[in-house]
This record gives sequence, structure tokens and C-alpha cells, in this order.
Amino acid sequence: MEVSRIRALRGPNLWSRQTSIEAIVSCEPQERAMIPGNEFEKQLRRIFPAVGPLEGTRPGEPASMAHALEKITLSLQNQAGCQVTFSRTTATEEEGIYQVVVQYTEEAVGRLALSWAEKLCQAVQLQSTFDLNQALSELRDLDEDVRLGPSTGSIVDAAVLKGIPYRRLTEGSMVQFGWGSKQRRIQAAETDTTSAIAESIAQDKDLTKSLLLAAGVPVPIGRPAKDLEDAWQIAQNIGLPVVVKPQDGNQGKGVTVNIVDRDLFNQAYETAARYGEVLVEKFLPGSDYRLLVVGNKLVAAARREPPLVVGDGTHTVKELVDKVNADPRRGDGHSTSLTKIKFDNIAIGRLKLQDLEPNSVPEKGRRVILRNNANLSTGGTATDVTDDVHAEVAARVVAAAQMVGVDICGVDVVCESVLKPLEEQNGGVVEVNAAPGLRMHISPSFGKGRNVGKAVIDHMFPNGDNGRIPIIAVTGTNGKTTTVRLTAHLLKANHLRVGMTNTDGVYVNGRQIDDGDCSGPRSARNVLMHPDVDAAVFETARGGLLREGLAFDRCQVAIVTNMGSGDHLGLNYITTLEDLSVLKRVIVLNVAPDGMAVLNAADPQVAMMANMCPGNVTFFALDPHQPVLATHRAQGKRVVYTENGNIVAQQGKKSFRIPLSDVPLTRQGQIGFQTENVLAAVAAAWAVNVPWENIAQGLSTFISDIQGVPGRFNVFDYKGATLIADYGHNPDAIQALVHAVDNMPAQKRVVVISGAGDRRDQDIRDQTQILGTAFDEVILYQDACQRGRSDGEVIQLLREGLAGAARTTHVQDIQGEFNAIDTALARLSAGDLCLILIDQVEAALAYIQGKVNETQLTLSK
Amino acid sequence: MSSKDIKFIRITHLKGPNIWTYRPVLEAWIDIGDLEDCPSNVLPGFNERLQEMLPGLIEHRCSVGERGGFLQRLVEGTWPGHIMEHVALELQNRAGMQTGFGKAREAGPRGIYKVVIRTRNETVSRVAIQAARDLVMAAIENRPYPVKEVIANLTQMVDRLCIGPSTACIVDAAADRNIPAIRLNDGNLVQLGYGANQRRIWTAETDQTSAIAEGVSKDKDLTKSLLANCGVPVPEGRNVSSPAEAWEAAQEIGLPVCVKPVDGNHARGVSLELRTQSEIEAAYHLAEAEGSEVLVERHILGDEHRLLVVGGKVVAANKGEVASIVGDGIHTVEELIESQINSDPRRGEEEDFPLDTVRLKDHTTAVLELKRQGLTGQSVPEKDRHVLVMRTGNMAMDVTDLVHPDVAELAALAARIVGLDIAGVDLVAQDISKPMKAQGAAIVEVNAGPGLLMHLKPASGSPRPVGQAIAAHLFDENSEPRIPVVGIIGQENTTGTSHLIAWLLHLQGLQTGLSSAKGLFLGQRCLQAQSGMEWESAQRLLINRSVQAAVFETTARHLLAEGLPYDRCQVGVITSMPKAAGLEDLYIQSDEQMPNVVRTQMDVVLSQGMAVLNAEDDEVANLAQYCDGEVTYFASSEDHPRIVQHRSENGRVVFWRKNHLVLAQGPQEIEALNRHLPAIDKLLKNQHLNCTEVLAACASAWALGIQTDLIRAGIKSFGQSPGAH
Repeated sequence: MEVSRIRALRGPNLWSRQTSIEAIVSCEPQERAMIPGNEFEKQLRRIFPAVGPLEGTRPGEPASMAHALEKITLSLQNQAGCQVTFSRTTATEEEGIYQVVVQYTEEAVGRLALSWAEKLCQAVQLQSTFDLNQALSELRDLDEDVRLGPSTGSIVDAAVLKGIPYRRLTEGSMVQFGWGSKQRRIQAAETDTTSAIAESIAQDKDLTKSLLLAAGVPVPIGRPAKDLEDAWQIAQNIGLPVVVKPQDGNQGKGVTVNIVDRDLFNQAYETAARYGEVLVEKFLPGSDYRLLVVGNKLVAAARREPPLVVGDGTHTVKELVDKVNADPRRGDGHSTSLTKIKFDNIAIGRLKLQDLEPNSVPEKGRRVILRNNANLSTGGTATDVTDDVHAEVAARVVAAAQMVGVDICGVDVVCESVLKPLEEQNGGVVEVNAAPGLRMHISPSFGKGRNVGKAVIDHMFPNGDNGRIPIIAVTGTNGKTTTVRLTAHLLKANHLRVGMTNTDGVYVNGRQIDDGDCSGPRSARNVLMHPDVDAAVFETARGGLLREGLAFDRCQVAIVTNMGSGDHLGLNYITTLEDLSVLKRVIVLNVAPDGMAVLNAADPQVAMMANMCPGNVTFFALDPHQPVLATHRAQGKRVVYTENGNIVAQQGKKSFRIPLSDVPLTRQGQIGFQTENVLAAVAAAWAVNVPWENIAQGLSTFISDIQGVPGRFNVFDYKGATLIADYGHNPDAIQALVHAVDNMPAQKRVVVISGAGDRRDQDIRDQTQILGTAFDEVILYQDACQRGRSDGEVIQLLREGLAGAARTTHVQDIQGEFNAIDTALARLSAGDLCLILIDQVEAALAYIQGKVNETQLTLSK
Repeated sequence: MSSKDIKFIRITHLKGPNIWTYRPVLEAWIDIGDLEDCPSNVLPGFNERLQEMLPGLIEHRCSVGERGGFLQRLVEGTWPGHIMEHVALELQNRAGMQTGFGKAREAGPRGIYKVVIRTRNETVSRVAIQAARDLVMAAIENRPYPVKEVIANLTQMVDRLCIGPSTACIVDAAADRNIPAIRLNDGNLVQLGYGANQRRIWTAETDQTSAIAEGVSKDKDLTKSLLANCGVPVPEGRNVSSPAEAWEAAQEIGLPVCVKPVDGNHARGVSLELRTQSEIEAAYHLAEAEGSEVLVERHILGDEHRLLVVGGKVVAANKGEVASIVGDGIHTVEELIESQINSDPRRGEEEDFPLDTVRLKDHTTAVLELKRQGLTGQSVPEKDRHVLVMRTGNMAMDVTDLVHPDVAELAALAARIVGLDIAGVDLVAQDISKPMKAQGAAIVEVNAGPGLLMHLKPASGSPRPVGQAIAAHLFDENSEPRIPVVGIIGQENTTGTSHLIAWLLHLQGLQTGLSSAKGLFLGQRCLQAQSGMEWESAQRLLINRSVQAAVFETTARHLLAEGLPYDRCQVGVITSMPKAAGLEDLYIQSDEQMPNVVRTQMDVVLSQGMAVLNAEDDEVANLAQYCDGEVTYFASSEDHPRIVQHRSENGRVVFWRKNHLVLAQGPQEIEALNRHLPAIDKLLKNQHLNCTEVLAACASAWALGIQTDLIRAGIKSFGQSPGAH
């Protein structure tokens, strides 16, 4: 067995909506159809008993080793704690070649699982050893390493529940929610509105305290000390007991509490001084509480206890700690609800202060504290007390947060009980922490977990907003680019800043930000990250869809212009029109439940996709009596068609008309394929509620020139002859072009064509066969990219298509696109028509425009 | 006993508006003893000695009102207190703390003076006034005085203690728009505006500057990828972890490249335009030493520029100045740097200088730059050889007017992508007046908290009003930086009035702070039961971000000893003229002095504000002339001549007509209250309030735009609803 190509499908894809690893796997004859009834399965189960049932692509069919690889990859991830369920193996039409697809939650983990699965298969085959534990622990470690931490994770989970799309911006905890102009960012429990100044204030305990004092929030009095003597003087003034801590500290480092004598005070000063300026404060009696404020609300509260053990009169401190650490809930990092108590020098130092050593046996019931602070990360515990918090306490804590100016913060309160106002019990706020840990609230050691992630998301996305901007995805065989550009233009007419991707580039609000073929998910993702995008229109080509899946989890509108007889068939295991339509319907499958599929009723492959759409469907067709469309209309659903020189958009009794004469792109409706594109774009604009007057205005101002839609039916006048430049490169496109130019009066008709090498022979021949019925003269040229074909091969195929042509009387082949254009132009007289099927769009258009300009210059002279 | 000495009796910092001026001052009480007999014109050589020590005194206009005015006074003869005032101000100015206002007045008893100087920092001014005394004594006694050292010391203090120049330009721009400022820490954290309407700045960060965005801006790699995603041109590059990998990356990207730390700040560890393996490897080590990952990037041709983006717009742009020297075949590189670069008067060690001094020991990149040219600090370049010393770090030339709109648009977009409201966008371009893409220009960095000084004091070109831009970003034309502030002073009836006004504001739905003789209050809650009128306590209300309105009761003593806790108020109320009795320790000897003290309450009324004055107290009513805003008079009867007069001029008046309290303006009047209502009757009988307090409070509430029915309901419920104070 050999694994040849591995891809990560990072969005909804051909196989499922799940993010998945896709591998091309070739199996030797003896590795196909080998399970059940093979030693392999037995051996495999011996090493990895948890592997699920091994079955072929359909239940009952025998399974190949590729199937085994699939199930092992899935099961390894499951055993490592990843929640994955989807996997699939499909035989391609090439004998022994399979496509194996396995869901992942983390791409790196999925890839690693696949590589371990491959090794396991080999080990089984070679009957060598395999260390399953090693594999699982590596996977587990990697997963813990790369997946979001619990705080960020809880926020992301809450976002997903609310339908808010997200994307990680770093390998760390920075996440973007929403798209385009509606995007927001978080980093752990900080949001993009968390003020940097406020964070600096929170870091400065003294400043924080003075501001809280101004806000009427009780705080422990005290101040920073210049030196030890000054510190002691402050302690005397405040009155013992006091707390000594570093001015700018975190995680409780260097803090000593409840200092009652000079000796301990001196030690405490020294400890704190290691971290910077030292602060002396009144010691507040009671417990440590952490109150979480999000926005202007208190959303959770926990009582925190330092790591401690309780003596039983028989075990040593060390043994007691080991016993506590044996609790399976205690892990090593931040991912579990409790962390193991660290038994290090700090703990031993703390023991010393209690006159204990690691080997001392504390009497029964004695509480032995192992650390001065109550942080979970050093083994402390948290008990949820959210429901206990007195309204006055909550009010003070919210006031503290607002005074400092942080929108999400953990306020540390020391008091005897949160059940009564702080003022009644000498309690106070000791610290305000920006970017607080959420773990103690999500999964407290004791008590009820709180959905603080939801609180954060509700704070960031109030009023049910989900951060989405409308996405319109466009696919099909022909007309995609024109439809994309026109749809974008209609949205722009609605005063939206539109992001658009197509085969010519990426455009945001009229500015081109990338060039080249940008019809893949990478470009679409970039548009969704751009801060100035209010709506997006994406040309969704097959290549990117196969390579990576969609760039979005769902779209508001999916347009499928047509399938015709397909294009690019035979590449990447997409062999038949059915295969192609399964691929292209992915965008229809991923329409939002309240979204719209815009489908060509006249194209059977497209019309069939209606059944797969989770949202609504608008059908379009030129012919109002087209049966699919007519039925849909009769059912009171949305349809767009042409009738008596009008575009008609209709739903039930309501309809709206726009005269085709007001839509220059269609040339009074003469150019059928452009009219179809217009119908699709109108349906899409309607689906995202663009007002009719804006649609009409947009249609009237859209010009298909080389600026508007380069390479799509660009019409020029050349010495009285009509030139049409188009990028059409498949039989359907050429058929449509022939229909369109048939409507244009002309004497002699000339066409210039090349053939792209990556089409099937038949598709190349078909193109000239169609042209042969409609053109008097055909100029053939060889295009720049022959894609693996030998010199002259394509020209030969094109000539074959012209054999026995009904109309063509002159055929000529030329080297080079510009030469071919020159040759054709030389043969034209006024009143003739020439269709130039260009290849290098930008260069060829510039060349043609240059030629046209020359003649005009001559004229003006 | 005869003594010719200047002794300090007391030095007071008046922190707010005071009897001298609107701004904080230091007030020193001095006793000059028998120097009272020695004005400047009778001390031989004194004037000359003084001028020699402080030649800048010639600029002091003094009461004469022209340059040299103070020197003229010296010649005519003036007394040591007045001289100390001018000396202290001159010392402060020389130290970089610009202050113009000063006063010296006889306090009453022979030889006792009050010397007042404007201060921007109490500590600095205390030292300055002490030094002024010592300097004047030295000049009198013809002793030497270390003027230079004293000024140097004061300068250091100013640098350390005062807000920095970048922050100061924002605060000053805010002040020009009548936006008050409160410094919140010893550093550059400043609050602009009051209470709930305040905004905060910390140098060039605002309270809207996102912490995450700052994090993004510090991660150059992340910044670059975010910018590239949105089509902003950036230099392509990648992170490397060894010198060998750096070289490999350089070849892949295409030479020349630059090498820099991923996480660095400023130009530290950055090397540019590297072409050879050895250069690149050396640069790797230099960058690595800054402690983070190392980045290799395509070197973008052109000059470095810094564009300051504020609130989505480019407001200033500077171009980097290349520091270079020309060899003479005699001097070493280091010597040439001194004579050709550091001799530039724009260069200096302190923050105030537009350009840094170049010292090879501090500028490792310069050392590397020289090394690439085969030179060290000790090399002697041949005659006429041009040697490039540094090409980063000095963004000194203003080019704001040249920036092409496309460049400005992309710079603003870059700031928006990172998420910063204020950003310094660094870009490299050959010509800033042309679109970026065509010239291969790129944005290389987006900086949070950018320095503003380069735009305020460019080495060439015009200074840019970046402080104004930031102030405008924080407070657009429609935003109100102030909250309603009511100030109340009087001999009596002030406490009840202030509590009643606060109660009415509370009922209006505003979170109201109150500083009164009874303590400090926030809404319904008493924050502290004592010393609520002390300056520090009272100012807490304005710092509090939840406070939407504030009421301050003040006494003459507080006014004299501390100044007012606010700079301006919406409503200034004087219920009666305070008495001098009890203020003897402040050198207030007679009631006649009191109007001059109390007028401060009128001076601080905003031009769109209202004075509320007791028409029946002539001294109080006469203070109306000092009010910039409108005046409302109140009296127990509508027949009081001042009420009649004011009403006839369409002014607002409030009075009792039998049992009705009437608010009247011109012919219009509203009966706001009937004292026969049981609730009000009870209130007045129980002496919770008296008739004057109700008058003053109603007049104030009217001035604050509180509806009559709410005033009526509020007075009825005053002191009766649970929790009311």
C-alpha cells in the first residue's frame, strides 16, 4: 500500500461538511478486497483492539487496506480524545486507487494520525512490533498542544452555537469571529475592545487602587514602599496584619499574606522585591474570591483555595500530596479542571513557615497549605459561588471593572462571605485582572460550571448578531465570472462595500488587491478577513473546492449558472458530468437554512440540485414556460425569467419587471447567455434583499467592456467590422457564443481559436465542430500552455473538428496568439464579424484594444 | 531684632481654580523682615548681578506690558517678593516647564507677602521657589550662586516629573477646545473630560487602543500576513532559526534582503540591504541577540517613511533621514560622525531633540552598516568618500503634504487591519507622492503608541497639529467632554442646597456625585462621612467613570487653601457672602476681602452656564459681572428691585409669591411649588430645608434643564424616600 497525495480539506467539501484529511492510496492486488477472512484483520485487532468494524465502501462489501487505513486513522484520533466521526473510502475508476477521507478536529493531529495509521498497517503486514501507546500519547500531546485552550475554547464553542463563524489567526489563542466588516477578535479572554491602557492600569496595583477608591469601591489601604524601613513604617501606620507583594506581579508570585511580625515581614519584603517595587497593604481577613465581569455584568464567581492537604495523623505531607495528586481530575496543564499540586521549593518553603518538612506527619485535621496563592495552575481549587453573590458586592465589582476600563476582567475580592456587602465585613477588591482565566468558572473544582464563553460572545455580539456578512457563491461551467461581477455590481448599487473573487483577481470595494486566478478558497478567506467588506461574491471553481474545500461554512446564496456538458472532465478523478455536478453542488449543499440557491431551471443537472438545498430555491430560465420553472412559479416560489422583452422576477402574485432594453449587457436580450447571467444575478440580489430600484439601476450601469468584465463578450468596432473577444473554452461556451453572434447581422464571419491542452480530445474537437457550422473562416493558433500535449497535437484535433464543416471555407493555422489576431484582422472588411477566442486574457485584450485605437487615431487624423 | 532675610512661612499648592487664576499655582507666604526697607533700586549692584545670573529676565513684561518691563520695575525699585516671583518663573521656564503667570501681594502685616507662581508640577515649583529665594538672597548679599547647576537639576526634575511632550501636545490641544484634563498617575496617563464623559490617553495610546491590536502590531510576522491577505503591499519574507537558514531564505526571496527580530521594537537588531552570505549571517546574530525569532525579508528599495494614522486618517508623514559622512583622509569615522553628524543642532540626547545623537556603541546597526563598507569607527575614510552611517531611526523630515492618496489609503487600511485607532505606519517607498504598487513600495511595520515628537518638531518642514488630530479623534464635534457640574458657596444654606440639587439630578436619572460638608456621596451611597469637601476627595467624583453629574459644596477656606476641585462649572451658586471670621490664619482680616475670594465661583462658570445668585445680598449680586454665562437671581419676594430689574431684561428669576415658588423669565412664569402641600410643609418645618435653600436649588435645577414637575416631585420626596441622604 502506498499513500501518495495528502490534502487537508479545511471547509465543507465534496465528501462532507467536516474538515477532513484526504489521501490517495494505492493498494496492491492482494491488498484489495482482503477483509474479512484475512490474517491482517486479526493481527490489527491484536495490536489495536479499539479499531472499529472494517467494512467496504458499502456494508457487506469486502474492505481493502485503504479501508483499514481509514478506520485506523479515525480510531486513533478517537482514542487520543478527538471528537471525530466521519470517514470514507472510495474506489476511483483506476484499479487499486482509493480516495481515503477522514475527519479531523486539528489538521496536524489528523495528519499525524494518518501517518501512524500507515505505520500500523505496515507493522501488521510485516508482523513487526508497534507501540500503540507511543502513537496515542504523541497524538494526545499534539492535540493538547495545538487545540485551543479551555478559556478560548469555551468562547469559540459558544460562538459556534450561536452560528458565528470563526477562524484562528495564530497557533496561539487569537481567534477571529465573524467576517469582513463584522469581524471581531479575541485572544483568550481579551476582546478587541479590551483597552491597552486599561490593561496597563490593571497591571499597576497602586494606580488601580487609587482609581477604585475614586469609584467608591472598597480597597485595602496601603502604598508602595521605597525600601524595607519605609515598608515597615507603612505596615505600622496601617496596622498589622499586612500583605506584602510586588507592585507589578502576576499569578501571585512573590506575595506574602497575613504578616504579623517583623521577621516574616522582612522575609516577605525580600521575596516581593525580587519582582520589582514592593507594595504594603492592609491584610483583609477572609477567603479569596474571583468574580468575573463581562461587559457590565457579573457572570461568575468562585471561591479559591490554595493547594492544601489535610493531615490524617499517619501520612507524611509528601504522601498526602501524592494522594491528592492521584485524583484523575488533576492534570499537568490547563486542560483539566484541577492541576496537580506542585511539590517544589516554594511548597517546601511554605511548609517551613508552618514548622513542617516534607516528611513531617501532620496531626489529623490539620490543614497544611502548600502555596500562598489560590491559583488553579499551581494546584489550588475553585468553588463556584456565583449564585451567592450579594447584589451590592456585584455592583462594586462591576464598578471596579468599569473604573479600570476593562470589558472582561477577573476581580479578586477578599472577604469573609460574598453573601453580604463588602462594606459590612471589611472586605475589599484587591486586584483587577485583565485577560482572566476562565477555567475555574467553566469547570470549577466544586459546584456548578458556568457558561462564561456564552457571556463573552453575547457581550461581543449583542442583539442576536452572528457576525456574518452575506456570501454569494457562484459556480457552473460557463458565465461564472460575468455573474460574479454583475452580482457584485448590484450589491454595490445597494451601497455595500463588496469583496469579490474571480478568475481575474480579488477586488475589495473596487480596488484590486490580488491578481491571477483567485477562484479558490484562499482568496475567498482573504476577502472574509478584510475589514472593509460588507458582502462577498465568490467565484467558486472546481480546483480549489477539490484542493481545500470551501472557505466558508455556509453561504447566503449559491448560484449555479449551468453545467452543460461539463468542462475539464477527466481531471482529479472527476470523470463524468455526474461527478462534476456532485462537486459543484457542494455550494448548494452549504446554503444557510435561511439562504437561497439560484439555479438554472433549463439545465437538468443544475435543476436537480434543488433537492439538496437546505434553504430556498430561486429558479431562472429564459423561457417562462420551462417546465421546472413554471412548476416552481405555480408553487408560489421565486422565479426569474424573460417575457416580452422584460426580465420578470416573480413570487406568487408579486412580480417585478425590468425591460431588457435597459440592460446593456444583454444587447436588448439578443445575447442569450448574457441574459441568463443577468437572470442569475438578479435572483441573487433579490435573495439578499437589494431593493428593486437599486437592482434596476445596477443593471443599467453595468457595462461588459474590457474594464467591466475582461474577456467576456467584449465588443469592439474595427474599421466597420465587429470584433468580439471572449474567453470561452469549452463546447457549451462556444455554442452559447455562436447563438449570440447569430443574432448579430454580419457579412463574413471569422473566428480565431486555440485549444487548451488539458481538455479531453473530444471536447477540443467539439469546439471547432460547432464553429464550423457558423463561421466562414477559422484561424487556428496554438496556445501558450499545451499542458503536456505535444507540439501541434491540439491544432490537429481542432482541424479534425472542422472536417466536413457546413459553413467554413477557409482554415488557417498560425503560431502565436497575436499573429493569429493580426491575420484575422487583415481578412476583415467593414460589415464583417470576427469572434476572437482569447487565451492570455489581459495581454490579448490589450493587444486588440491597441489595434482598435490605431484605427481610430488614423481616422481622427 | 533686625533681619535682612527672606523666610518662608508657608507654601501651599492650590490645585484648582483659586483667587489668583484658573490654573494650579504655588502660593508661598514669605516674611522679608527688614528687606522691606530695601527695594531693588537701593541695593547697589543688585540689579546687574541679577541680570547676569538670569539674562532671560529681559523677556519678562511684567505690569509694564512690554519686553524689558520687569527690568524697568527693578530700576524703579521693587521688593524681594516680586523679584522672587519672576526669578522662580524664569527658572521654571529655563528648566522646560513653561509658565507665565505670577503674582506677589502684600498679605497685610509688615514684610509679609504672598508670592504666587503658576505651576505644572508641585514638586518642581517647590524647588524652583526655594531656589528663587536663595538666588535673590545671593544677589542681595553679592554671593555667587550656581545658577547652571540649579537649572540642570530642575530640568531633570521636569523631564522626570512632568508629562512628556507627546502627551502634553494632546493635553494642550484639548485645553484649546476647553476640554479639562486630569493626570491620573506620575507618568503620562491623563484623563480628558470629566466623569462618565472622560476619555483616557497614555502618550499616543487612547482608551480605544485595543490590547489585542497592540499584540498584533508587535508580532511583525502576523501583521505582515494579515496585511498581505488584504492586499496591502508588504515585503515577503519568512522566519528563520539559524544563520544557514537565513541565507537559504535570502536566496529564495531574492537579494538584497533585510534581517530583523520578529518581536523587536524600534530599529534595534535590524540590518538592511544585505547581499552576501557573511553579511546575512552576521545580521542574523545581531537580530537574534534581541531575544526573539529572526525574520528575513525582501529589501524594499527607497526611503523609510513614518505615517501617523489617527482615527482612520493619515494626519502626518515623515521621511527618514539618512545619516552619512564624507571622508577627508585625516579624521576617523568616529570623529567625522562627531563633526558632521552630531554637530547638527537638531541632534541631542534628550527626547526633546528631533534627532538622536549617533554613538557607535549604542547603534550596532551603524557598526554593521560601516562594516559592510569595510570600515570601523577607527578607520580613516579617504578624502571625498561618502560613507553611509545610519539609514533608520531618524524620521525627521515632514512630507505630509506630499503623500499620495493611494499611499494614505493603504496606510489607513493597514492600521484598520491591525485594529489600531492610532498607529505609526512605517513604509518604504522611493517616492511617497506616487501610488505604492507601481514603485514596489511596501508597508514594513505598524506601530502602536507611535512617538509624536517627530511630527511636532520635524527637522525640516512644518510641524503638524497631531495633538489636535488626536483630541478630535477622542472628542468629535458632537461629543461633550464635560458632565454637568454645580458649584456652591456661601456663608450658610449651602449644604441643604447642594443635597437637594444632587437629589434632583439623581431623579433625573443621572449617576450623581456630591461633595458636601456631610461627606462624599455617589448616587444614594455615602462613600465617606468626613472631609467630603477636601480637594482630593472632591476630585474623585470627576475621575469616576460612572459619574454623570457632580455637585460640589465649597467654603471660602477650601477655596483659599486648596482651590476648586473642578476647572469650570455649568452652574455656580452663591447663597450669601461668607464672613472673614475664622480665616485669619489665611491672612483674611476683613469681610471686605471676601467678594474677591468668592468671585472665583463666578469666574469658573462656563460661557454656556448659569450663575445662581442671591439677589438679596448686594455683595453676592454684584459678582454677576464676573460670570461668563447667564445669571438667575433668587429672592424671597418678587418685589425685590434686582428681581424686577433682571426680569425686565428677560433674565431668569426665582422667588416666593406667598406660598408659591415661581420660576419666571420675562412675562412667562411657572408655579413650581406650593409650600402648603403637606410634604413640603413638613420638610420646611422639620428644618430639613429652608426657604432659601429651596429657592437656590430650584433655580439651579431649572438651569440644569430639569422639568418643573420633576422638581416638584423631587422636593416633595426629598429626605423621605428610603436611602435618601
